[in-house]
This record gives sequence, structure tokens and C-alpha cells, in this order.
Amino acid sequence: MTAMSLPYSRLWPEDDSTVQIGPVPISHDSAVAGAASADIGAVVTFTGIVRADQGVQSLLVEAYPEAAAEELERIVQEAALLFGASVDVIHRTGKLAAGEAIVLITSAAAHRREAFLACEYTIEELKRRAPLWKKEMGSFGDRWVGK
Amino acid sequence: MMVKLRAFAAFRDLLGRESVLELGEGATVSDLLLHLCKTRRGFLEAAYDQEGLLRDYVIIMLNRKRLDGQQGLEQQLHDGDEFAIFPPVAGG
Repeated sequence: MTAMSLPYSRLWPEDDSTVQIGPVPISHDSAVAGAASADIGAVVTFTGIVRADQGVQSLLVEAYPEAAAEELERIVQEAALLFGASVDVIHRTGKLAAGEAIVLITSAAAHRREAFLACEYTIEELKRRAPLWKKEMGSFGDRWVGK
Repeated sequence: MMVKLRAFAAFRDLLGRESVLELGEGATVSDLLLHLCKTRRGFLEAAYDQEGLLRDYVIIMLNRKRLDGQQGLEQQLHDGDEFAIFPPVAGG
């Protein structure tokens, strides 16, 4: 699937970092393969997964897509400036069952330390800043996370 | 003037995902919130505390820029503005 066919995606113009938000599949192998290049010595990925605790059977993930993409673009640009890493983010939306991936962050840098730091920076800032929400659904009914 | 209203998460449950509001010329963000209190069941209790203050967890963006504090509430709206309201984020 190309970036242009996704519901909301954008290519960061100054490097090859990308942000994708929508009801899209996540392929870890494709993400790692896409991050590889001659000057890359380390690729670190983080995958967030729907956890089946306290009766949760699925999540409904919602985004303010334009604002979330803008915020994530700022975050990956910051990661590039701070750590010299190229970071790709895929955040899924819609209904996801327990065990399915919600988010995949792929961080590529010349060396492992920068790749690890950029990956951690991106997920922490995503959770703090990007307008995305999760509704837990299960035997208890449903409830928004964090309200 | 017409202002696009977008609501997310718990506020989408109350207000719907997207609608267009017709407001008088010169209306402010506060005027829009008051309009919602009068016209949308449950919004007043969800958005305001018992002292009439906007709850801390209410986040407002105007044209995808976050509004903060009283100054934000007094900001004047314009035809075609996009007003978004949502609770604290919880992605990832």
C-alpha cells in the first residue's frame, strides 16, 4: 500500500520520515525494510498493542486526523533534530481487537543509541501531545480511556 | 456566520462528530460554548463544574491551534472557523 492511498498520511519534506493515521494495516517487516539504507546502522521499533486486561475485548481508536498528523510531524521533526534519527509513525484508528497493534514507531539512525532515544521520545510525546483517544469495550460496556 | 464544530471522544458522544453552527457576528469562543450549553443536552454538566468554570479536562482548538485560559475564551470567531473540543489525549 502506498502512502498516497492511506486515509491520512504525509511525507515529511526534509527527510524520509512519515506519519500515517487511519484504519490501515501495520506491517513490522515492511516498516523495518523501508527504514533501511546504506547509512543506517540501527533500526528500533515500538509496537503498542491492545491489552486484554480488566475485561477489555477491543478498543475504538479515534483521531482528530489533521491535528494529530500535524502534531506527529512536529514530534518526528524534533526527534530528527535531537537525535539525528529518521522516524516513521503509523497510528491505527477504528475498532481493534485485543492483541492487535495500535501504533508502530520505526526509528532509524546511524547508531543504536540515537535510534533507541528517538523511538522512546516519539512514543512518549505522542502519548502526551497527539489528539488521539481510545474507548475500551468489553464485558463492562464501554468507557473512554483517561477521562 | 458559520463555524464548523468538531468533537472527539466523550464530547463526540454528546455533540456528534461534526456540525455547523450559525452564530451572530462578533461571537466569541465563550458565546459558542454558551450556545452549546443551551442547545445540547448534557454538555453543561460535562464541560463546566458547579461553580460555572470550564473543567480542566476540556481542551479547545480553534483552527487547529490550542486555546488556553480566559484569553482563549474571549477570542472572537470568524466565518469558516473550525472549533474543536475534546478531552485529554490518550493515544498510543
